[in-house]
Amino acid sequence: MADLLDRFAPLMAQRDALFGEGGVDPFEVKMDQVLSQTEAVIAGRRTILVGTNNYLGLTFAPEALKAAHEALEACGTGTTGSRVANGTYDGHKQLENVLSDFFGKEHAMVFSTGFLANLGILSTLMGPDDFILMDADCHASIYDGVRGSSAQVIRFKHNDAADLDKRLARLADKPGNKLIVIEGIYSMLGDKAPLGEIVAVKKKYDNVYLLSDEAHSLGVLGKFGRGLPEEAGCEDDVDFIVGTFSKSVGTVGGFCVSSHPQFNTLRLVCRAYVFTASLPPSVVASATVNLGLVKNGGALRVRLMRNAHKLHAGLTALGLKVASENSPVVAVVAPDPEVALAFWRGLIEAGVYVNLALPPATPYGYSLLRASLCAAHTEEQLDEVIAIFAEVAAKIGLTAPAVRQRIAAG
Amino acid sequence: MNAPAGAAPSPDTLAALFEILKTFNKTGVELTPGTRFSEDLNFDSLVVMEFVAVVEDDFDISVPLNILPDVATIKDLALAVEKIVAE
Repeated sequence: MADLLDRFAPLMAQRDALFGEGGVDPFEVKMDQVLSQTEAVIAGRRTILVGTNNYLGLTFAPEALKAAHEALEACGTGTTGSRVANGTYDGHKQLENVLSDFFGKEHAMVFSTGFLANLGILSTLMGPDDFILMDADCHASIYDGVRGSSAQVIRFKHNDAADLDKRLARLADKPGNKLIVIEGIYSMLGDKAPLGEIVAVKKKYDNVYLLSDEAHSLGVLGKFGRGLPEEAGCEDDVDFIVGTFSKSVGTVGGFCVSSHPQFNTLRLVCRAYVFTASLPPSVVASATVNLGLVKNGGALRVRLMRNAHKLHAGLTALGLKVASENSPVVAVVAPDPEVALAFWRGLIEAGVYVNLALPPATPYGYSLLRASLCAAHTEEQLDEVIAIFAEVAAKIGLTAPAVRQRIAAG
Repeated sequence: MNAPAGAAPSPDTLAALFEILKTFNKTGVELTPGTRFSEDLNFDSLVVMEFVAVVEDDFDISVPLNILPDVATIKDLALAVEKIVAE
């Protein structure tokens, strides 16, 4: 009889062949000490963190720390209950009010993580006669969410409004409701959805709703940080916004906001909401305070984008292929997983942490060194990061003309 | 698929799928209606998605993700495609 986990043997063999003996395992990084939003001690070395999705650097905001401490003392370390049982405190309701005000929507539901928000909403919203049309590059939580739905699930080509249009046209004579699912900023390459075009397509057909996952764009885009819909000027056309507190908001938790009149029905039928413990009061307090800082964080957004441009320009000048411009995500494309791993190890050994992202978790089968910027990065830190990228790239030959050609061809 | 036991896809559908599969057939196995995507062609989830996208373009259809778990062989896919085209 085969062992339970034998079916993963090919994957583990692939992993062993790639990672080999010794060297840091990129998926087993341990932060021995967190020094600030932008630095930690890893393997005994001061390391600049350029891959934490901590876009606004709010993880140590004094106002949030104070509120979290107070909530911890007043309400304890956890609720030990689901939102529909004993897990809804005054703080959870306040946070939902702050969220609906922030987005200008009628209703807000707070989940325990962003993953659970997608899982819960996407598996529940659409019924057996309905259709979900999702961007092919959507996050794993969206794939898992739609897998739990009884609706028919159709993928459209990444950021291709014309392909979406074609697929909606094929469904035009079907009576069911349709839900388009996109993300504001796609996490791996940092590219934005063409929201204006998608909204225009949506408006051509009847019974079509739009859901946008603003995980990476909340706090980043828009004058008040409301994400891509605010930036694109079409907030009223986005029927459901899902998001997370684990990036710009600097803590953990997920949410969905909407002005759908029957939205609160979901509180009874969304299993990922009903059957899991609610967020601890200290986390709720941090999120509530930090949402205010996000809203008034215009100066942080300016610093974030200035930092993003600096890193993007610095790495491009080295001859590296960088996926997206004008994005807080700066993803360097390596020619294959082996080179990506060697690069990643060179960086970590020199004191720079970025994410190593490999297929199948990446689009186009890319092997990526994915950096994400923080408003709190200093110019000096980024100069150091760029200098280390230059050293490591030269050492492993990534900036050599032959390798650049291979990358360009790939 | 839940097609009747005797159901057979048209030779045209099979031929079109064989043609598309040429570029995806890394193992070089002989393609027959009974060829299995996972076991014989070694398709992983990513390759399945890329392949399905090409099939969608070729037949000008949308293949719902929901049916993929029931599609094991080329014949299964051909029948599924014909069902979608007929709808």
